[in-house]
Parts: sequence; C-alpha cells; structure tokens
Amino acid sequence: MVNDSGQLYTMEGIAAGLVMLLTAYLILSTTSIYTPGDTHIPDMQLEQLGSDVLAMMDTPDLEGGENQLVNFINAGDGNGFRESFLEYCNATTSGKPDTLHMSANVTYRGEDDQIKEHLLVGPDETWTGRESAVRVTRWVQLDQQSTRGDPYRSRAQAVLVEVLLWRA
Amino acid sequence: MVALIAVASMVPGLLAGLQSSGIDYDAVAYRTGVILAEDPGWPVDPPWEMKDQYHKDEIERMGLAVSNETPNILLSTKIEKFFNTSFFDPEDYRSKVIFGEIPYSYNITLRSLDWTYNHKVGQETPEGYGYIRRVVKIKEPSVAVIDEGFRNQYTISPGDNSTTRTFTVRLDFSRLINLSIDPAYRIDPRTEPVNITITDFSEYLNKTSTPPIENATLKDVTFWGGSLSFPFPYDTENPDLYTLSLDGNPYDLKPEAPVESNISLVLKPAATSLFPLDQNSILDILFTFEDTDYPHTNITGIHYYDYNTTNVTRPALKPAVLEVAIW
Amino acid sequence: MACMNEDGQWIVLMGLLVAVGLFFLALIINQSALVGQTTAEGVLEFPKNDIRDLRSEIFDYYDRYDDLTDSERQNNVEDIVRISLERMNAVVHFWNGTPEEITIHYNNGVTVYDETVYHY
Repeated sequence: MVNDSGQLYTMEGIAAGLVMLLTAYLILSTTSIYTPGDTHIPDMQLEQLGSDVLAMMDTPDLEGGENQLVNFINAGDGNGFRESFLEYCNATTSGKPDTLHMSANVTYRGEDDQIKEHLLVGPDETWTGRESAVRVTRWVQLDQQSTRGDPYRSRAQAVLVEVLLWRA
Repeated sequence: MVALIAVASMVPGLLAGLQSSGIDYDAVAYRTGVILAEDPGWPVDPPWEMKDQYHKDEIERMGLAVSNETPNILLSTKIEKFFNTSFFDPEDYRSKVIFGEIPYSYNITLRSLDWTYNHKVGQETPEGYGYIRRVVKIKEPSVAVIDEGFRNQYTISPGDNSTTRTFTVRLDFSRLINLSIDPAYRIDPRTEPVNITITDFSEYLNKTSTPPIENATLKDVTFWGGSLSFPFPYDTENPDLYTLSLDGNPYDLKPEAPVESNISLVLKPAATSLFPLDQNSILDILFTFEDTDYPHTNITGIHYYDYNTTNVTRPALKPAVLEVAIW
Repeated sequence: MACMNEDGQWIVLMGLLVAVGLFFLALIINQSALVGQTTAEGVLEFPKNDIRDLRSEIFDYYDRYDDLTDSERQNNVEDIVRISLERMNAVVHFWNGTPEEITIHYNNGVTVYDETVYHY
C-alpha cells in the first residue's frame, strides 16, 4: 500500500518532467530563423528598382523628345537596351556599382492573333546558380512604322516588355 | 524538479532572440523611399518648400516629387530645401519623412548620374541596415536666354525719339499653367525660379554713334501686373527672393549701373508668391535703361516666357539615384 | 497518503503552467519574424507599378486616338486586353465616354481597380 502512492508520486513527477522537456524541445525547434530570402525583402527591393528603371527609360527627357525604350524596341537593339538598363540599375550614390544582371523579352500580339514572345536580351553566364529573379514589366506604345521588321511588323500596337532581374 | 530547473535555465536563451526588429528597417526604408520619390509632400499649395523658419511646423510631410501625377520625377527646388541641414534638424527628418515611434537613425543620399547633384543627410551607415534604392529624374528650372539672335526683333524702330528704353519679359500664367502639358515639363513660376539671361548685350548697344559706346545704364527692374506696379523691396539685395547680376556682379533691383555684356535675373518662387497672382494673371518684368546723355541701347519689345522653345529653354530631365538607409 | 498525491499533482500543474508559458513566448517570437515577411509580401502583392503603368499606357493610347484609323484603334485595345490577360494575369477593360473622360477597370484576382478620369 505504501508503494502505490510512492509510485504515483514518482510517475506524476516523471510525467511533469517529460511534458516540460518535450514542450521546450518543440518550441526551440519551431522558432527556426527565417533566412533573408524567405522574407521576400530583397525581392521587393529589386522589383521596385526594376520598375523604376523601366519607367525612367520610358520617360522622354524633353517634352516630345526621344523615348529611349521605344527606340530600343523599334531597332531591336538588345545590347543597347541591356547596357542602358544596367547602367541605371547598377548606379549607386557612392559611385561603386552594384552587381545586377538582366534578361528581357517582348510580348506582342502577332499576325495570327496569338500572343508571342520575342527574346530581346538573352541571359548571360550568371544565369545558372543565381539567386531568385524578379520580373518587372512595362507597356510600350509603338507607332506605325514601316521600317520596323520582324517580328512586330509595322502596325501601331501595344507591346509588353518583360525584364528578369537578379543579383549575382 | 530537475526538468523544471533545466527548462528554467533554457528560457533566457529564448528571450534573447526577441530583439529581432532588424526586419522592420527595410519596411521603414521602403516607406521613406516612397514618400521621397513619389509624393510631392504636404502642404502642396502653397508648397512646403516655401515655408520659412517661423512656419516650419506647418510642414507635415516632405516629398520631393513634382506632383502626385508624376512619380519618380523630382523637383530641384524641393531637393535643395530638403537637403538644407541648416534649416532642418534630425528631429524634423524623423517626424516629417521617416515617421514611427522609434527614433531611427537614417542616411538619405541623392546623386545624379553626372555627379552635379551629390547630396547626403544623416549619419554614416553601420554594418547592417534597412535599405531601398530608387531611380529618379530631376526637373530643373527653365531659362529664357535672349542673345543676339533676337536683335532684329527687339530693336526700336527708326525714328523713335524716346529717352528711356524698356524691355519687358512677360509671364502669362494662363498660358504657362496649362493642364494639358505633363507636370514633368510644365513651367510653373509659383514653384520654380524664373531665369532671364540677356547675353550679347553689346549687340543691343547703339553702334552708330561716335565715339563708340561701351555700355548702357540699367536704371531699374520692376514688376508689373497689367498697369499696376507691384510693391517689392527693390532697394535691398535678398538672395532668397532674387539674384540680379550685371556682367557677373551682384546688384539690387535699382542698380543704376552700366552694363556691358550680360544681365542675369533669377526670380525665386518666394518672390513670386509676394505678388497677388492667380492662374490667369500676367506678370511683366520691366528692364528700364536710361542714360544721362542719350540712349546707349536700342533694346525694346516684349519677350514671352512661354513654351516656345526659341523663347525659353527647358533643360532635359536629369537621371539620378536616391538611396535610403535606416537602422 | 492523500497529501503525497496532492504534491505530485502540484508538480504536474507547475509543469503544465511552464509549458503553456513557453508556448506563449514562442508565439511572440514567431510573430516578430513574420512582421518583415508580411510587409514585403504585402508590397509585392499590391500591383502599384502595374496599375500605374497601365494607366500611363491607356493615356498614351488616347493621346494618339485621333491619329489612328478605326481598325488600328481596335487592334490597340485588343493588344492591351489580351496581353494583360495572358502575361499580367489581369482582366482589363477601358473605354472613353466623351473624348476626355476615360474609364478604366482592372482586376488581377486579388486587387480590383476602377477609375474614371479626365485626361486632357
């Protein structure tokens, strides 16, 4: 009779101890730290920057002046576009340039009423093993221009420029 | 009992990670970046950058954008006012741009890609901080340059025997405040300086007389609205309101001094706000030349300060980078 | 005998209290890490740049309205609507009442934006 109560006491003590240890273990393992990438903060910073750069390239410096983005698309000048875009987005106030890379394509509605994409700037050697990329877009209004060849053709149309931006 | 002691000793380790407000800094930096790059500030009319030391409390929010329809286009007068650390102290920046209850440390920098604008406010950045970078374009004030190309237009007709010569620059607000022009390219004398530069003034001198004359005397510069002369502190030099320089030397608005080659008048928006003007008024700036013996110059006429590109040069928008760091 | 059982129960109760307290602490710490995450995700989720860009494009189209032929106008509208649906995952609908009054409707499944504006 004295053994039973002692065993009950011991078992309750052990059960309490187990509960506390188990809880402590569970809690310590659930408060795992989020890596900076999980918080999507770098994605937000890159997306805002990319949108800004495309918007600024789409704004003529003088009223009725040249629109850089429209000129690049009309000429199909992928290299010029890449250089200009990277110049804007890698510029910092201290003068030491950032290390961002980009690739771009243009989405248009083709002759057969299908939505098609045309590669304007291909990805470079940092494409594999990179951090997650961010996509920014900008609408461009193209005027009727008979000298504009494939693939957009000469009619006046609206196209969408999509740029993938990543840090390498 | 032993388990209780073991757990109790693990608790301080848990609380140590609670000070993780480092993730909040990026959000505050983003918000500050949006306020600076996309918001014109409040109050917007009359604009916050024209408040003087006594009305500083009326500024609720400092934003650098030209208007709320033109995000990422910044106004040069707002930039100059914002980075004026003798006017604003750190507490102003915290309460009018950064907001929030915690006193954040900040570092806001703006640089144009050609290095003509290179401003910084705040402390040096530590190892880890919240950060955002924006790409913007800066709108600079327009200039009316009157060079010798206008000589035929602005010379008196022969047979005119008047002794004083007046040259007028006319700002027609109903033409300038034109809503169909994008605010990024609009000329608004209420918020931006008006710059009138007469170069090649030697071409406007009376060449026919002998001995050849070298200069003409500028008697005064006055401001008129229709036929009403506007009261103005013409006698005192006040760089906050205007700068007048004749051949590179500064003068007040009643110089009565000889001019050889160029006249430059910059009328700041603080001065324009002293005149009773609305969207339909006309502001005339009269340059009166009078010499003691006979008129040394033949200049006359009205130069319209409007959107005609030969009359007024509007400089190109300047690309720039804005960075905000918060910690 | 009775008092010994109660002692044991005290221990279990204390253990349970400590466990609950630890759960509460852990919840607070978890939430603090989420503050930054939901802020950035909220920013990414709201299509601020998409809507601004779309408005700017529609205004550009209406600026050119008088210079385009009827079929060109239709083509342009069709471009914007189709490409929005396919690449931007957004349903876009816009028209003009009187020449300057433009109505825009945008819906990307999460955010709906309607606007009627006078564009000179």
